[in-house]
Amino acid sequence: MAAMNPPANASQNTPMIRIAGVSKSYGDKPVLGNVELEVERGEFLVILGASGCGKSTLLNLVSGFVQPNTGHIHVNDKEVTDVTPACGMVFQQYALFPWKTVQENVEFGLKMRHVPRAKRAEIAKHFIEMVGLRGVADSYPHALSGGMKQRVSIARVLANDPDVMLLDEPFAALDAMTRQVLQEQLVSIYEKSGKTILFITHSIDEALMLSTRMVVMGDKPGRIVQDIRNDLPHPRSADVQLSARYLELKKSIWETVQVEVTRSLEAKH
Amino acid sequence: MAMKKPIGNRSLLGLSVLSLVAFIVIWEVACRSGLVEPIFLPPPSKVLARAVSLWEQNLLIAHILASARRVMIGFLVAVLVAIPLGIMLGTNRIARAIFDPILSFLRPLPSMSWIPLSLLWFGITETQKYSIVFMGSFAPALLYVMEATQNIDPILIRAARNLGANRYQVMREVIFPGCMPQILSGMKVILGLSWTCVISAELVASQEGLGFMIMNGREFFQTDTVVLGMVLISFTVLLTDIVFRLIERGVLAWQR
Repeated sequence: MAAMNPPANASQNTPMIRIAGVSKSYGDKPVLGNVELEVERGEFLVILGASGCGKSTLLNLVSGFVQPNTGHIHVNDKEVTDVTPACGMVFQQYALFPWKTVQENVEFGLKMRHVPRAKRAEIAKHFIEMVGLRGVADSYPHALSGGMKQRVSIARVLANDPDVMLLDEPFAALDAMTRQVLQEQLVSIYEKSGKTILFITHSIDEALMLSTRMVVMGDKPGRIVQDIRNDLPHPRSADVQLSARYLELKKSIWETVQVEVTRSLEAKH
Repeated sequence: MAMKKPIGNRSLLGLSVLSLVAFIVIWEVACRSGLVEPIFLPPPSKVLARAVSLWEQNLLIAHILASARRVMIGFLVAVLVAIPLGIMLGTNRIARAIFDPILSFLRPLPSMSWIPLSLLWFGITETQKYSIVFMGSFAPALLYVMEATQNIDPILIRAARNLGANRYQVMREVIFPGCMPQILSGMKVILGLSWTCVISAELVASQEGLGFMIMNGREFFQTDTVVLGMVLISFTVLLTDIVFRLIERGVLAWQR
């Protein structure tokens, strides 16, 4: 499908996302302090952190909803200065348009770009099938389960063909079984589409299951405290999850997180 | 211990019908027994007889249609202006700052207070009737729409912007459809208001319509015509309400 190829003029050597010297504060409350982060093309980067560490603010900065106080953010070599469809966002609350059918929701971004109706329907159909929702294309969101809604939301972003997919704790509201199925689906979508993914979670296991690289954030102000490559083999089956390497990575992250959370709790007193 | 059976919907409907019949019967008996002077309140039978005689003169439907037409035109123009303007004002703080003083001035004015000026501007014409309905329904319609825009989930607007929608597209694709349920329920209230406006306009200067019918009945001491006019207003408003509900159900199919 033509829509899935990267833009021809994009340089393949530069990082997909460059976050350089970015600070952000709300009033006199610093949220992010001098964050430096580069995300390679095709990387699946999971950002881990306790609530309140500024990880959602980081996503909002990358997607252009919030502007930094200092520093610069580049996505695909273009500086982010406003909301940009180059970074497709999947929200924890799904954010589907309740008055549009699944098909119409998935077509939304294409419609905004005035893609002809027939072309739009064809692309939407492709991605609805990719997330396994062919049977409910004509349903309204209220008729779907949480897991199905989040798949629609993922299909909606994919159909818009962004450079980067941003996912803000997308599976946090789902039950454990559904979450696991969706995690597996997301990995397979990632492999098929080759998209660069920035995924936020506070679950270490989720990070280990999905990522190619993991970044741990600390707070007050939010900053990056650990950056590890996830070299676990695919698929990340039960065997992998019981392997020594898995436990080693988990322990390493857990130690960092523990230090950060303890520090944060002490700071509150 | 015996279980109490819950009252079914059919029994409740039966109760409503019974209550209506009882009301009419008591009214009729009160008039016939001389408890109420027919000149103050005619019995239902006389009102019905008046309805039949007006029907035979082809006047009944003419009066209803005259009023209904005025309501519909005045109401539709008010709503068609109020929806885009309300969405604009609801989403744009600068536009709101500009229009707010004007709106605050217009809002408390009852439509009746526009009658003298409208007669001066338009004379005793149909346009004058439309203008009274418009003036009475425009400001509340605008307020309903503005308020509806405030209740859109902001995350939907963020999602739309993130998918590449510009500000105009956000209004058309997100705010307008998202406001629809609230706009429609507001419009139902305003449609009732429009009927009040048209009746007051017709009471003052008119040759036809239900308001004229009531006024005309009063001049000739035909209390049965007066009561008939009142009953017809009630019926017509109820009927438009039912039609409105059907439209609502069609438009808001996505909610079910």
